[in-house]
Amino acid sequence: MNNRFFSSLALRNIKSNKQLYIPFLLSSTAIIAMFFLMVSLMTNRFVQERSSSLPTLFMIGVVVIGIFSVIFILYTNSFLIKRRKKEIGLYGILGLEKKHVAKILFFESLFSSLLSIAAGLLTGLLFGRLVFMLLNFMLRMPNNIMYTTSLLSVGVTIALFTVIFGLTYLYNVSQFTFANPIKLLKGKQEGEKEPKGSLILFILSLIFLGWGYGISITIPDPLAAIEKFFLAVLLVIIGTYLLFISGSIFILKALKNNKRIYYRPGAFISISGMLYRMKQNAVGLANICILASMVIIAVSTTVTIYLGSEETLENRYPYEHNIKLFGDMDNVAEMNNRFFELQDEVLALTEEKGLEVTEMESYRYESFFGKLEDGSFVFEQSSADGTLPILMMAIPLEDFNEMAGENYSLEDDEALFYHSTKTYEKEELAIGNKSYRLTEIENEFSADMALTESIAIVVPDVSHLLDFREAYMEQFPESTHITIDAEIGWNTEGTEEQEEALIEQLRSEYSFSSENDGLYNSRDVQREEWYSVNGGFLFLGVFLGLLFTLGTLLITYFKQVSEGFDDRGKFQIMQKVGLDEEMIKESTRSQIVWMFLLPIVIATIHVSFAYPIVRKLLMIFGVTNDMTWLLTFIAVVIAFAAIYWMIYRVTSRVYYSIVK
Amino acid sequence: MTLLEIKNLKKIYTARFSNQQTEALAAVNFSVEEGEFVSIMGESGSGKTTLLNIISTLDDASSGEVYLDGNPLSKIKDKEISAFRRNTLGFVFQDFNLLDNFTIKDNILLPLVLSKTPIEEMESRLMPIVRNLGIEAHINKFPYEVSGGQKQRVAVARALITKPKIILADEPTGALDSKASQNLMEILRGINETGQTILMVTHSTRAASFSKRVLFIRDGSVYHEIYRGEGSADEFMDRISDSLKVLSSRGERDE
Ligand SMILES: Nc1ncnc2c1ncn2[C@@H]1O[C@H](COP(=O)(O)OP(=O)(O)O)[C@@H](O)[C@H]1O
Ligand SMILES: [Mg+2]
Repeated sequence: MNNRFFSSLALRNIKSNKQLYIPFLLSSTAIIAMFFLMVSLMTNRFVQERSSSLPTLFMIGVVVIGIFSVIFILYTNSFLIKRRKKEIGLYGILGLEKKHVAKILFFESLFSSLLSIAAGLLTGLLFGRLVFMLLNFMLRMPNNIMYTTSLLSVGVTIALFTVIFGLTYLYNVSQFTFANPIKLLKGKQEGEKEPKGSLILFILSLIFLGWGYGISITIPDPLAAIEKFFLAVLLVIIGTYLLFISGSIFILKALKNNKRIYYRPGAFISISGMLYRMKQNAVGLANICILASMVIIAVSTTVTIYLGSEETLENRYPYEHNIKLFGDMDNVAEMNNRFFELQDEVLALTEEKGLEVTEMESYRYESFFGKLEDGSFVFEQSSADGTLPILMMAIPLEDFNEMAGENYSLEDDEALFYHSTKTYEKEELAIGNKSYRLTEIENEFSADMALTESIAIVVPDVSHLLDFREAYMEQFPESTHITIDAEIGWNTEGTEEQEEALIEQLRSEYSFSSENDGLYNSRDVQREEWYSVNGGFLFLGVFLGLLFTLGTLLITYFKQVSEGFDDRGKFQIMQKVGLDEEMIKESTRSQIVWMFLLPIVIATIHVSFAYPIVRKLLMIFGVTNDMTWLLTFIAVVIAFAAIYWMIYRVTSRVYYSIVK
Repeated sequence: MTLLEIKNLKKIYTARFSNQQTEALAAVNFSVEEGEFVSIMGESGSGKTTLLNIISTLDDASSGEVYLDGNPLSKIKDKEISAFRRNTLGFVFQDFNLLDNFTIKDNILLPLVLSKTPIEEMESRLMPIVRNLGIEAHINKFPYEVSGGQKQRVAVARALITKPKIILADEPTGALDSKASQNLMEILRGINETGQTILMVTHSTRAASFSKRVLFIRDGSVYHEIYRGEGSADEFMDRISDSLKVLSSRGERDE
């Protein structure tokens, strides 16, 4: 018997098991396409150029989809091979040796993996282009996002899925080499056994979830959030699988033990059915739950970022026109003159263009790093122990009062104090040679102050800034960057042409390249920039959302179809002893709680716990408005629940039509 | 009192893709008295299963009528047919038809659960039956954990638990070895002795010899019947074999 014999036998087996292989191949193809698209996105030039955090985000996507692929393909494969046990057991009875059966299985795996990898790559290419084009058009992006892929992405995809299909092959072979043919012939009579130590699994699941949730809840700042997000996601995913596997079995068994609940037609049929295939059921539900969480997070965050663009712009560029003035190292006193001069200059320029100044704000400040050590702020150049130093911004009272529209007055040893983490509890703070009695205030400064631990201190006058500088230079004589800088911002009113002319002039006079000492930023110019980045973000989020929803559809459909075929015989028997159609409907209806509500509710809990860490991540994008995120979040949850409801309805109708 | 009456029952199957017709039942007439144990015998393809399916309301007759307690089955509304099957009839099938996902206990209770019977009632009915059938030690096992003979006894328990008017059994010993068959037939006879009416289809003379009356069916109609009377089972079995021999040779002569 040569290889050609085995390969043709394998091919015939695949053909004669169309009903099993078509869904298997379709779903493998889809998951491979998803992975391939994600790797392509990660290595996409547009993505890499846009922002440094995008590739990180897609890296998470690649890993998550990669893990998901393994589980998903192994899960569908195990279902497939289980249904074929009888057929393959027959080979043993007919006298094929185990190594021959292994050969047949090898060719089957080879063919199905070749087919689905090829189809997956192709689908990835077609689908990717199509969706990129469509969304590009929908969002009216200024420039086309080119969908590109590389040989590297193709290589990575092929490598991963070759390994996964290799695993399925090993699994299948192990199923048959260790089993005797008689048992195989009997096939699927035995239900799945409860996993050993399910109590331990349950406790582990709580630990993993608690750990993941804990990371999110206690996350101190956005930079830590970037660092820990991936770990938290991974922990929650593992926790979810364990929770569904152990938890759903606990609940089902408890329900079964409650005679009043269990011995009613709908519950009787559905609970026993779910216990019969408890692991398959649990993994399926966990998959749906994880996908649901991913859809909700991906879509709601990117929509929030997009919707928050305007707010972000206001935070970053509080005025239509903004100039940052850089102080002079060698001649600090010069700065004071320059500060007032520059204000006069830009005012003159604005009026010259025929525009009216409606609002203006300006303040001087000095910033340096350090750490809080019982009662004093100790300067640091870079942190010795690897933690981030605290950023301190010092502002003279005069400028602060004008900027915040306040009317504070301070004694020489008094200061106003803002601390982003609000963890400093003493009444006094020493900086350099000075000590201040503190009065706490809210953040009237930049929204960016919340990004890392920051302090703003308002001191009686500019001379204090000079004192700080002196103390700092004494400690670090080499330092070159401690200067008093200033921000000047103003709004104008006039025709569009006048505005444009002003922006043009300011840009040419105050840019990095000019010898002038100020840097100009126009909010209108930034707005275009900003929307193209955030639009790209939104687009990618929606793209991911679509992919995950597709996955949800696939899994749900697959689960219902496979269970339908499993259950058909049972329903036929039950109909013989007096089950009517109304009761079949009732039993499918009592699945709703499980199939529909459970994944959605747990996904919502996951996403709610993800709120703190996601909020911190959103700060990086300048979104600080909780309301936007909350409303988007609720809307996305409802929208996804609605979509999933439709998926559920359609697939359960498929199930019903199979078993009826 | 006559429990079941079959009048001029006729069944013609039409092949799905051609006009070829098979007459499975030509004109069947017979009746079953309350408390009787009747066997129907005949060669493979003679129409036994078809007859049983029509009596079970799993299939419709082409013409003729089945009366249970004097009521024609064809008058039962579609909506009530499942409940009728559950409450009035008990089934025992050749291949057991137990559900792998239910324990033995739940398999037996299934028809009662479907009828929304209170738990107390279900449990009080369960114990005497399983004790009687000798399967009480296994009620918490699953079907794959018990032998074929035990499975068929579970099926009998499931048929009995609804206190049906009549038990319909299609080749109940067909998948059992001789020892298990013997055991099952003794159980069925015992059940009949408590007054339960049983109608059984079989082609085993030994199985048939446990009943009180045997009907012979051929080419879709009943053409002979014999009663056990006061004789022993062995003697009855000889008479059944003799009838089968005579009738099959006569059949050959006819052709
Ligand atoms: N669903 C069907 N469609 C067409 N012909 C059938 C069908 N069921 C049974 N028959 C035919 O009716 C006849 C009687 O079958 P059946 O009642 O199964 O016989 P038995 O149970 O006595 O072996 C046979 O010739 C069989 O081929
Ligand atoms: Mg038959």
